[in-house]
Amino acid sequence: MSQTPQVAAPPAIPGAGGIVVNGLRRSFGDVRAVRDITFEARPGRVTALIGPNGAGKTTLLLMLATLLTPDAGTISVGGHDPVTSPSAVRRVMGWMPDALGSWNALSVRRAIEVTALLYGMTTERARERADELLSLVSLESLAQAPTRALSRGQKQRLSLARALVHDPSVLLLDEPASGLDPAARVALRELVRGLARDGRTVLVSSHVLAELEELADDAVYVEGGASVSAERLARAGAAARPWRIRSIDPAHLSWSIADLGVPTADVSTIGDAVLLPFASDDEAASFLAELVRRGVRVTAFAPAIGDFERTFQGLGDVDGAA
Amino acid sequence: MIPFSRGVRLVVTLELEQRVRGIAVYVLLGLFTLLVAITTVLLWRVDEGSGSGGFLFSTIVYFVLLLGTLLAPALSGAAVNGDRDAGTLATTQVTLVSTTQIVLGKFLASWFTSLAFLVVSLPFLIVSFALGGVPARTVVASLLVLLAELAVVSAVGVGLSAIITRPLFSVAATYLVVAALSVGTLIAFGLGGAAVQTEVRSTSVYIDPETYPEDGSTEAPTCLPPEVYTYQAPRFDLVWGVLAANPYVVLADAGSGEFDASGYPNDLFGQVALLVRGAQVPPETEITYNECEDFTGGYSGEDTATAEETWNSTTPSWFVGLAAHVLIGAGLLWWGIARTRTPAGRLPRGQRIA
Repeated sequence: MSQTPQVAAPPAIPGAGGIVVNGLRRSFGDVRAVRDITFEARPGRVTALIGPNGAGKTTLLLMLATLLTPDAGTISVGGHDPVTSPSAVRRVMGWMPDALGSWNALSVRRAIEVTALLYGMTTERARERADELLSLVSLESLAQAPTRALSRGQKQRLSLARALVHDPSVLLLDEPASGLDPAARVALRELVRGLARDGRTVLVSSHVLAELEELADDAVYVEGGASVSAERLARAGAAARPWRIRSIDPAHLSWSIADLGVPTADVSTIGDAVLLPFASDDEAASFLAELVRRGVRVTAFAPAIGDFERTFQGLGDVDGAA
Repeated sequence: MIPFSRGVRLVVTLELEQRVRGIAVYVLLGLFTLLVAITTVLLWRVDEGSGSGGFLFSTIVYFVLLLGTLLAPALSGAAVNGDRDAGTLATTQVTLVSTTQIVLGKFLASWFTSLAFLVVSLPFLIVSFALGGVPARTVVASLLVLLAELAVVSAVGVGLSAIITRPLFSVAATYLVVAALSVGTLIAFGLGGAAVQTEVRSTSVYIDPETYPEDGSTEAPTCLPPEVYTYQAPRFDLVWGVLAANPYVVLADAGSGEFDASGYPNDLFGQVALLVRGAQVPPETEITYNECEDFTGGYSGEDTATAEETWNSTTPSWFVGLAAHVLIGAGLLWWGIARTRTPAGRLPRGQRIA
């Protein structure tokens, strides 16, 4: 899976599907929720929307989902402008909100059916579609249960099914994996990857970076209501990150690390693993070679955090240094 | 976009499935039926003598209006903001139904629910009609006005639920509107009439008791000099228009107009409507009582107007009141739609759109 920052990718043709956002701004009274967001999410790829809580992710998604007008800036979703032609956008866009609302007196099947009807499908087609989606999100056994009886994770899957009802070409997923058990998480990842493979544009917001790491092709970083510039991303991506090292003989490993001149302040131990920061992959590889040369029997040598998380943490460090 | 009526129908179906559920509504309907049944039995005895179902019919219709206006706010007052709190409004708004379809659908669903009270009272209405004496005009007019008034309360509830952010406040505000129209108009009428008073001059000419003639005597009695005193009388004729906005008065004014042989109303509508019609008549500012003249000239007995005469000489007002109600309901619905429309420009403080 390639995980290049989206800025390195060639620009999509404007209006040819996908999501194109330019200089977006939106305030609520004195609160400037979104100050300046610019990015592109291309068809056939999963784009991660990364940022801390309160960074403006949900406000951005509400604007993409035709629910909120921006104060300034332009949006194109699937080639349509959500402000001037919301119904054209709604036809091609599926939105899974972070708030898990469901019609709690309706059965799971009926909730999907009603959504299909609200998208203008015939009764027959809506019934078929409900069957398809129930099996897609593995809720067949709960089809007759009222939605209020669902667990958080099950509601999450129902919400996803609803977002997919009209087979949208652009998908906006707000925190889709929160509340899911590991098996459902894997299923969700496979599902979302599959949807992107079919040529859909998928924008996933989350603050669980490890999760996005396995899911997304590209990433958009949002901080304090603004998207992070390419230059800052490059700097942050180059920041040091910790690597996790395990050995059959931990004592030998510790001794070797000390002997190789690593300051003790940099070394931390979690369980039977040692965490060491390396400024680059190159430096890490050389260190591993040195350990092996010294006869340390290494069983694991891997980055402790993913690319997204390193960049995310790097952004904080860059700010701290500035 | 989904065709307009189909979209509205979908929302109505969804609302009826989702919102109007549970045993609470059925318990209320059961209690209501019991109440109407008891009233029917009691009034039957009253009406049996007169051979007319007028009082029974009008009482049941009033019951439906009372229960409907008491329950419709609870059913409709959280229709939009309750969905927003539950997180189901936004997910509906991103589909192809428009905000207008959503809000109108919610209004219709709430109206239909309040009509359930009318449906369960139908057997009793038919009984009262079978007793006779209820003209078709009264039945048609009062039921149409009842339907309209229940629609107005539903429209106010749904409209306010779209305008006010918190469900609790919008339900309370809907009750306040209902109370203002049902009770507030009465208070305003009473206070208004008392505040604007007019001076009445009362002149009385009595016979000197010393010279009061014996029976059979033709001798003319001595008249005392006229006694004049003044007092203040409330001017209800200036404020009666306030009462025209009362839903019970609208219903009464539209539904009555039937009098028995002696010129008295033969149902509750007529009695209520007459109170309002009577208030239109300005008080006389010159009152003379001449005992002396009455004695010599023979008692002329100034004819007091019968109910029917008062009725015929005063102005009907129900269409004004009803039009005002429809205007309030439609206006609030329209405002509610405007406030709920997406993509939303302005959000009230603290409101989350999802």
